Amino acid sequence: MSRGNGIGWRALGLVLGLFSAASAAEVVAVVSAKSAVTALTKNQVADIFLGRASRFPDGEQALPVDQAEGSTAREEFYSTYAGRSPSQVKAHWAKIIFTGRGRPPEEVANGAELKKLLDRNIHAIGYIERSSADSALRVVRVE
Amino acid sequence: MRHHPILLVALALAIAIASATSASAARADEPEPRIFLFSGFGTLGATHSSESMADFTSSSLKPNGAGFTHGWSVGVDSVLGVQVTGNFTPQLSAVVQVVLEQQYNNSYAPAVEWANIKYQFTPEFSVRAGRIALPVFLVSDYRKVGYANPWVRPPVEVYGLLPVGESDGVDASYRLHTGELTHTLQGMYGRNDVKLPGDTGTAKARGLWGISYTAEYGAATLHASYFHGDLTLDSFNPLFDGFRQFGPAGIAIADKYDANAKLFTFLGVGAMYDPGRWFVMAEWGATDSNSAIGNRSAWYVSGGYRLDSFTPYFSYAQTRADSNRSDPGLDISQLPPYLVGPAAALNAGLNAILGGLPVQKTLSIGARWDVVKNVDLKVQFDRARLGSDSPGTLVNIQPGFRRGGSFNVVSATIDFVF
Repeated sequence: MSRGNGIGWRALGLVLGLFSAASAAEVVAVVSAKSAVTALTKNQVADIFLGRASRFPDGEQALPVDQAEGSTAREEFYSTYAGRSPSQVKAHWAKIIFTGRGRPPEEVANGAELKKLLDRNIHAIGYIERSSADSALRVVRVE
Repeated sequence: MRHHPILLVALALAIAIASATSASAARADEPEPRIFLFSGFGTLGATHSSESMADFTSSSLKPNGAGFTHGWSVGVDSVLGVQVTGNFTPQLSAVVQVVLEQQYNNSYAPAVEWANIKYQFTPEFSVRAGRIALPVFLVSDYRKVGYANPWVRPPVEVYGLLPVGESDGVDASYRLHTGELTHTLQGMYGRNDVKLPGDTGTAKARGLWGISYTAEYGAATLHASYFHGDLTLDSFNPLFDGFRQFGPAGIAIADKYDANAKLFTFLGVGAMYDPGRWFVMAEWGATDSNSAIGNRSAWYVSGGYRLDSFTPYFSYAQTRADSNRSDPGLDISQLPPYLVGPAAALNAGLNAILGGLPVQKTLSIGARWDVVKNVDLKVQFDRARLGSDSPGTLVNIQPGFRRGGSFNVVSATIDFVF
């Protein structure tokens, strides 16, 4: 009886695992292929997007670019890199905006717009579903 | 008249919800950042207190609140703030924030919360001039933005130590990275005039300087601050002028307790850990006034757990007096009969101030529900116990109020940003 339950729970865990993997495609941080940035830590990526850091570790200026509010890529990115829900990210920026200490990242409508922007600006950093990344972009290795 | 501002808050809330539910326009077409950014925040709240012989409120700068004056008060937590930020060049920007809330005189007149010009010399170093936020506590800068805070209001025991949020002057901020640690060091110099409720005049802070240090590492934040200034409370003058008529003994009392450019210091430390699913935070602060408003210290711990869009939380806070809450005053037995009455009145006046020092402990539990992306709803229950013979943080104390008791507060708020 107890053994049967154990297997049942494991099967349920497997099903839930597959479900969450299917619903959330992997989102990766990307920069222009011409950028010198190759690897960052999760905290460094989060610091740039949450307004705590304005430069890459090598000293170059960092320009974070968000995808549209409500997009899957954006929700997945902040959940993975900063452990924050859309409401928590909104609350984070409310703290900064209403003290005049900064402003949230510029926004692009979708992944295609992001690619165009990264092609123009070597300081920019964005995020995209791994399957959409191509040779014009460099996927930032996360350490 | 009093209800118009609340209607305004409700209107702003409607706009906020409308903007949240409408599809956001594509912004790729505007590669150039706009020069002026308009944004706002607000809270619509209702608060009830079980203590009917005094008022519970969120700040000692408010004249009344829930309990005696109102069964359910909207003034305790309701606020509307609008802000315009101007980004003129990548270096030069300006911000003006106007806030509507219950004022010292019970009006809802708009007040300029901050208005300053910032010059960003490098991405790490900036200087501001004008009316600037005082970074006293962890959430001081945004304590009025309910949406950015976990609670209905920051713990009154701690945030009431220094109820002032701004100063007119200059500040400089420097940010430094060591590894993955971000350090922010801020230094400020300025002055402030704060109008007090109940015909008690103005509190004037002069030569106010302070430093604040913040360290951030991933989900962890550490904050420490120190402020130092000369504080004058004109409303104390008649009392202590009276004491000075009583020779050396009276002068000694007046010099000890008056507030004429007396050194006022504040020291605070706080820490927060917020990995996303849950958060914990704690703060401690202490003030030293060299006057009858005494020396005080306070702390709180708070935490919450996020279950999807629902966040139950708790906080426990306490404040105490670190200086005497009474004084024998003038020795009446040594005085000629015609001076006994006036001397006793002065002693009573002094002890009324000293005895008003808040001693209070509050346990709060509540929950936040994120309704749509820029609107949340909160309910909170507070159980407060007053220190023996203290009115705690209550205001508008009525004859018949029993000191040293306990009371409950129930609050519900809608917070929004737009």
